[in-house]
Amino acid sequence: MLDFAEALLDPWSTREQVIWNLQIVFMGMMVSLSCGLVGCFVVVRRMALLGDAVSHGVLPGIVTAYLITDSLSIGPVWIGACLAGLGCGASIEWLRTKTPLREDAAMGLTFTSFFALGIVLLSLEAGATHLDPACFLYGEIGLTPLSPKLELWGLPSGNQALWNMGVVCLTTMISVIVFYRFLLVTSFDCSLARSLGMPVIWIQYGLMLLLALVVVASFESVGVILVLAMMILPPVSSAFLFHRLPSILMCCLPLSIFYSVAGLQLAYSMNFPISASMALAGIVIFLPCCLLGPNGGVLTNSKKLKTRKSSRDLSAN
Amino acid sequence: MRVALPKPLEIHDLTVAYQQKPVLYGIDLEVEPGSLVGIIGPNGAGKSTLIKAIMGIMKSVDGYVKVFGDSSRKALTRVGYVPQRESVDWDFPVTAMDVVLMGRFGHIGWFKRISKRDRSFASECLEQMNMLPYANRQIGNLSGGQQQRVFLARALAQQSDLYLMDEPFEGVDAITEKAIVDLLKNLRNQGKTLMVVHHDLSTAKDYFDHLALLNLRLVAYGKTEDVFTHDLLQKTYGGKLTVLSEVGSRKLNEKQPTQEAL
Amino acid sequence: MFLPIWKKLKYMLLILVLSKEASVLKAAQISSESDKDWINQAIRFWTFTDPSIQIIALGAILIGINCGLMGGYVVSRRLSMFGDTLSHAVLPGIAVGFMFSQSKNEAVLMIGATLSGFLGVGIISLLKRHTKMKEDSAMGLVLSGFYALGICLITYLQQSPNGGTSGLESYLFGSLVGLSDRDLVPLCFCLSLIIICFILLNKELLLSGFDPSFARSVGLPVDILQFCIWILMAFCIVSSLQVIGVVLVSALLIIPAATAGLLTYRMSQILVYSGILGALSGIVGCFLSFMGERLPAGPVIVLCSTLLFLAVLFFSPARGILPSWFRTRRRGQRIRFENTLKACYQVLESRSFSSQSFPQTALAQRRGKSDAEIEKEIGVLIREGYATRQEFPTEQKSELPSETMVSLTPSGWEIASRMIRNHRLWELYLTKEASYAPDHVHDDAEKIEHIIGEKTVRQIERILDNPQRDPHGKPIPSQDDIDRGWLSPPLVADK
Repeated sequence: MLDFAEALLDPWSTREQVIWNLQIVFMGMMVSLSCGLVGCFVVVRRMALLGDAVSHGVLPGIVTAYLITDSLSIGPVWIGACLAGLGCGASIEWLRTKTPLREDAAMGLTFTSFFALGIVLLSLEAGATHLDPACFLYGEIGLTPLSPKLELWGLPSGNQALWNMGVVCLTTMISVIVFYRFLLVTSFDCSLARSLGMPVIWIQYGLMLLLALVVVASFESVGVILVLAMMILPPVSSAFLFHRLPSILMCCLPLSIFYSVAGLQLAYSMNFPISASMALAGIVIFLPCCLLGPNGGVLTNSKKLKTRKSSRDLSAN
Repeated sequence: MRVALPKPLEIHDLTVAYQQKPVLYGIDLEVEPGSLVGIIGPNGAGKSTLIKAIMGIMKSVDGYVKVFGDSSRKALTRVGYVPQRESVDWDFPVTAMDVVLMGRFGHIGWFKRISKRDRSFASECLEQMNMLPYANRQIGNLSGGQQQRVFLARALAQQSDLYLMDEPFEGVDAITEKAIVDLLKNLRNQGKTLMVVHHDLSTAKDYFDHLALLNLRLVAYGKTEDVFTHDLLQKTYGGKLTVLSEVGSRKLNEKQPTQEAL
Repeated sequence: MFLPIWKKLKYMLLILVLSKEASVLKAAQISSESDKDWINQAIRFWTFTDPSIQIIALGAILIGINCGLMGGYVVSRRLSMFGDTLSHAVLPGIAVGFMFSQSKNEAVLMIGATLSGFLGVGIISLLKRHTKMKEDSAMGLVLSGFYALGICLITYLQQSPNGGTSGLESYLFGSLVGLSDRDLVPLCFCLSLIIICFILLNKELLLSGFDPSFARSVGLPVDILQFCIWILMAFCIVSSLQVIGVVLVSALLIIPAATAGLLTYRMSQILVYSGILGALSGIVGCFLSFMGERLPAGPVIVLCSTLLFLAVLFFSPARGILPSWFRTRRRGQRIRFENTLKACYQVLESRSFSSQSFPQTALAQRRGKSDAEIEKEIGVLIREGYATRQEFPTEQKSELPSETMVSLTPSGWEIASRMIRNHRLWELYLTKEASYAPDHVHDDAEKIEHIIGEKTVRQIERILDNPQRDPHGKPIPSQDDIDRGWLSPPLVADK
């Protein structure tokens, strides 16, 4: 027991360690929060697979922007990713409507081709860049503290990576708050949205752009595939706890803190990549929510059925 | 000179296709204000499609729809739509009150806060449909009739001038059915126009003052007593017009050049 | 100490990068045995004399055929994204299989991967059935969750004292380099399994995919058949992983089959085309990856299949986009001269068929076009042999020196009267049978007259009982009138 506690606290023993780890935790928290907030709407609009497709499809855009500007600064990379993401979405739509292809085949074909293109572009320039394709797959959040330090008015104020992610996180939170009603109505009932005069297509594109922004900001930390985990896990876990959308959105914050801290601890003790550990932590929280959650949890449902059945039996007798 | 008020609904030559087959072909329809119209026809006749085409949910291949004289999207702000129960995602994390409040968003303004007045108005609408006790229940936890009443309460909250309802009587109990009929007649008496897709011929005669008989094309439209005749019903329900359907299908497949090349 | 952690992470990255370099180096070795001249390299590849090339070529072709065949059912049963989920879900199984076997023993890895894939599929079904989670969320969850688990296990293994894990990360993007003839065995096994199943269960698979409820009602074990498809998919994915990699193997399950779907509707043909296209993508992709020293095999093969898809989409003679566009333009031109001929008939009719020819100006008036445009249209008609033109001197009172008179040839007359018949017959059908208002049927008839077929015309004539006049009272030409050509004015029964 003491060994366990020791192992848990070991990474936090010195001051440098604490500062180092706090940066990683903070980064992880911002990544999961941004992904989670966007993910709530992705899940509720049944766009999870489209989210998967877009997070793969942005790769050629990221790589092209990187090759042109020779840096991973977020501006051009986001533009490249948005263009690629929109191209991906537009191709899926075109294939679905103008060819005999059905929606799932159109999605699968488009995003795998885009992704393959991205990998090929990356490989062709592998000598010129120091980007490894594997980095796209699960990121390297552990390198956050190494990002160049920033100074505001002579005071040390975090580093570039944290600021970038912070801006994205803030943008996501503000967008979700300001456009909440639009997102809510267009997700629930498109015809009502039309009745209210809401621009349904623009909102869909806006959500995709936000998705692309979050993917671009997060891929360096968690890679493109685990972004999907960060998007899906918070909403599906909290859906078993709460029955209203605002509560589900707010639950993303405590969940993101948990993913980040627990993920870091798991990564240190088992030497797993931090991003993958965060996803595992997410699954660890998901399981009890799914089974015991008050709003539709598997075991709570069967218990309700049993009590209903037994009360029916009682009344019958 | 008196300028005529625009009609609530004007449809001209509307053709709507689904998977390259015509579901509606060349529909012409004009509805006067204050009508309670029942849309009847066999399955697959295009009744729901007509409503969806008016709402812009399904794209028309030909023809146009004018709501209060306006064919743009803005016109739809005066339309209240009650969808089919099966097209709603009942697992969506909203309560009955949330749904009714959504109907008020058009009046509240997109970025203003929801005031106490709006909330009390929404409560009144729920009260009118006997759903106030269930205001905080998630919509998936309601019975079929209760779900229908929530959406009707939302339609009330919208305070629209034209209501489109897709099979509101489907799968509801007798009490709810009576409540819905009373609601429809009340709205009609207030001067609203209602178009209701209905599946039950036996009650159609009693519930509606106008009927639209639909089967791929508009067989007839007019006052119930004029249109609910044996001949016209025979034409409506007497089987598919295969020739019309096939030829229409071929026309859709040929795409544009049924017109001259320049 | 935290420093070792950071060092470990850096170490891990270094191993990954180095092993990638190592595999690149090996590829370079294959290609640098002879001189660097790329033509020689190409010839060396395509003559297949080098045994290592034989192996990689055969491997690529087998993978292409496997995935192509499997893809036929994947795409038609809408399992495309499912294939993607499955291909990510096998990753933990590979790691665990490696842990058990302590080496790259193919059989153990394959079994582990298949079991892992099935666990993923099982979890998706459970979530769908017992919770209100929707299918797409469940699939996304399993996809990313299993993937995370797989990554964790793989990095854990890479730090274990057993080296030789450098082959594992090739499972991410695939590489042709490590392919030995032992690796071809599972591919052949998979291929034979697929072929046997598809031949034996051909009808059952077709029916259960097309209409599951009907299939169930006639006693087909629909769920078991679906399960068979999943098993075959898992085998296919697992045996192709080494060359294509986890991330992209699902692409090969989709793209060749989607291309085949553009060429034909029949399932047996789809399967054949899909297999051929898959093999083609495989061999060409393999060649390109072989030639390009740094190109990983998986993405290149996928891009080849995409290019094939685009080529078929745009250029396929039956349904390709470009040929269709040309056909549409030609149709538009045909409609134009059909309308001109129709107008000729109407001019003749307005003169009660008193004369065989009519002035060109009358046609211009009826068509509402300028003289120059009519000149061109008549020119087209004359070229196609539907009309003739003559100059006639006019009477003294006319201002013009001469007048152009046009008359129709028999073939021109045939088309003209056919158009008129189609138009008027359709108007009558719409008003009588379909209850349309008589003043609303003209526009529709204008379009339909060009596309209604002879069979439909016979049907309508039967339905309407051989009608004589259209809703506006104009006579409908009968088949006799059309066939007789311009020998005598059409016989129109009075009344």
